[in-house]
Amino acid sequence: MVTDLNTAIWNTLAAFLTFCIFSFLYKDNPFYKIAEHIVVGVSAGYFAVILYWNGLVPKLWNPVVKQGKWYYLIPGLLGLIMWTRFSKKYAWISRFSISFYMGIATGVAVPLYMQNFVIRQLSSTMLPVHFKNSVGFFNLLIIVGVLCALIYFFFSKEHKGAMGSAARVGIWTLMVGFGAGFGLTVMGRVSLLIDRVIFLKNYFTSIFGHIL
Amino acid sequence: MKSSAFRKLFSLFSSLIFLFLFYSPAQGAESSAPAWFDKNRVNVFIVLALFFAFVIYFINRAQKGKSLFVRRIPGLDAIEEAVGRATEMGRPILYISGIEDMDNLQTVASMIILGNVAEMAAAYEVPLLVPVCQPFVVTVAEESVKQGYAKAGKPEAYNPNNVRFLTSEQFAYASGVNGIMLREKPAANFMFGSFYAESLLMAETGFSTGAIQVAGTANIHQLPFFVVACDYTLIGEELFAASAYLSKEPKLLGSLKGSDLAKLLIMIYLVLGVLFVTFGIDIFLRWVFVQ
Amino acid sequence: MNFYERLMQLDRRWIYLGVAIAVTIPVLAPFKVPVYITPEAKAVYEFVENTKPGEIIFLAIDYDPNAMAELHPMARTIMRQSFSRGIRLIISALSQNGPGMAEQLISQISKEYNKKNGMDYVYLGYKPYPGITILAMGQNFRIPFPTDYYGTPLDSLPMMDGVRNYDDVKGIISIVAGNIAEYWINYANGRYKAKVFFGVTGVMTADYYPFLQSGQLLGLLGGLKGASEYERLAKQEGVATEGMSIQTVAHLVVIAFIVVGNIGFFMSKKKKR
Repeated sequence: MVTDLNTAIWNTLAAFLTFCIFSFLYKDNPFYKIAEHIVVGVSAGYFAVILYWNGLVPKLWNPVVKQGKWYYLIPGLLGLIMWTRFSKKYAWISRFSISFYMGIATGVAVPLYMQNFVIRQLSSTMLPVHFKNSVGFFNLLIIVGVLCALIYFFFSKEHKGAMGSAARVGIWTLMVGFGAGFGLTVMGRVSLLIDRVIFLKNYFTSIFGHIL
Repeated sequence: MKSSAFRKLFSLFSSLIFLFLFYSPAQGAESSAPAWFDKNRVNVFIVLALFFAFVIYFINRAQKGKSLFVRRIPGLDAIEEAVGRATEMGRPILYISGIEDMDNLQTVASMIILGNVAEMAAAYEVPLLVPVCQPFVVTVAEESVKQGYAKAGKPEAYNPNNVRFLTSEQFAYASGVNGIMLREKPAANFMFGSFYAESLLMAETGFSTGAIQVAGTANIHQLPFFVVACDYTLIGEELFAASAYLSKEPKLLGSLKGSDLAKLLIMIYLVLGVLFVTFGIDIFLRWVFVQ
Repeated sequence: MNFYERLMQLDRRWIYLGVAIAVTIPVLAPFKVPVYITPEAKAVYEFVENTKPGEIIFLAIDYDPNAMAELHPMARTIMRQSFSRGIRLIISALSQNGPGMAEQLISQISKEYNKKNGMDYVYLGYKPYPGITILAMGQNFRIPFPTDYYGTPLDSLPMMDGVRNYDDVKGIISIVAGNIAEYWINYANGRYKAKVFFGVTGVMTADYYPFLQSGQLLGLLGGLKGASEYERLAKQEGVATEGMSIQTVAHLVVIAFIVVGNIGFFMSKKKKR
């Protein structure tokens, strides 16, 4: 694989930083620290620039200065007073913007959350139970799992007797869910490693491949 | 007073049942033009109204000093056991309140539990270390610990140096906490609050030092890690329930009881729905169906 | 200290070394493993396959470079499949560190298929607050994005002529890491009834199955495995397919460590008693 000098330099830097991060697996060291700080610094700087050009300029500067929509200054002011949080004396002023934002966010989110994460899920759990095929049995499994997990999170009654047994089934259901989550997390983390290993393989092939 | 509150609730219920009987949302929904009232989502409105009514009703009751029963959370016994173990071993207790600021409800719940842990620590005379990730949380944590010591009747034993601000940078904080775990070898580690990728880093180090660990978070994605690395984990809502149980604060208790009642109704509705659907009748399913 | 206790005290660096070796061997000596195609992955593929040339799909690239390993292969394959079928794309990037990465991918693949910006695809770019942006796009794409990523007003792009909101696209495929996924379900599907398909990271996969069952989500690609399924379906085998053999070996090693660790744990506990 032939690469131009520019790509080769950048890839060398990327490979070096990859090894810097991997070195943490052995022990914390200055190379790891350098790489970690570069990541934090670059992402913060990148975000600031992105926010300026994609938020501030098209959403405040252009409407007010270029299009004369002066009323855009009102949200601009709400944004500006958020900076009072840095002063102990005037921090209370920032609560205006926070309450404005909280009010809107809650108003928009609560009904939709209730609709999509509670009611919609409730309706999709109302499944017919039968034993004609595996579907009916799995439906029963889902319904029992949901009910028992809800009982586990029911705090107004002691978990004794039948209630206790149901709560135990509930916690087992949760544990199965956690197990699935854990397994998939392992898969996700291994995927990140695979990506880096394939990158390193391609890098070494591109550099040494054509020397050899 | 009691009967009038009941009457109000009863009238609300009956009017909602009336709406339920005479309204079927799955029919006749074709207009998507902007309107003041979305008839397709009357069911959402009713459920929300009911939920709010429950919460307000129970907060009201709690504020009037009526006793509201909340079962003891087993995780709280685990906390006591861990404090006892630290006393026996003569080693400190470590309390971590997550990495988020006071605007996160989990941090608030964590501060309430911290007050309780501080009370136990003061009573048993075990040092309590509280490394904190957010500057604003430090002041609240100091106050919680101070109050806990005062409640135990030992305000003079409070050591302000034990509540420390480390850093707000996630992984730097995790490595700071890990350092404390390795150097000071606490016998009990408590991790309650909002955690992210640092959860396993800390819980694993705590496990390697042989400490008893009790954790709790509502961040579902981090629960598997706490479950595998800790002796006891408060799962999701249990964290809030534990804080309501300990603080007896009317708003927390009322919300908990309100959501319990809502859960009970959901369970009953679900069972009825499943039974009817199994026999081919979809009245319950149709009513919760959102287009 | 007996054998089991020593096993429990094993330095974790041995485990890292074990995984590193397991991952390196299949890279140096590659082999193929069969990939089972799940119905939820097939649903995403068939959605793109059944979309007619000239129709529009909304492709959301909602991840940062740190999720590239799992999600880039999905985005790449879906983009290639769409362009090769003549489907037009509206692309957004709602994760804060993702717009540059998305732009790089778009310019690379559009060049491969000789597709023109503004005619065959539109890149909207990034706006802060993904929830509000998704909600506003349900009314009109022009509310959060008066211009595209390059600063051209949407009204002057021929492809956007007559295209207002989610009603004018066949569906939304969001390749997503983090809680932006929740906003797509809650706002785009819940509020505007748009058809939503996901490609998510491995960590998130289990959380989104309930939405698949409830029909709020019509297809799901989970992690690198989902990406490899898609590559196989679209007959564009690439990094994800290559990664599957490595993943298999790494998983076997992890499983072996779990088994050995558990044996050590229970046996040392038994000894203590």
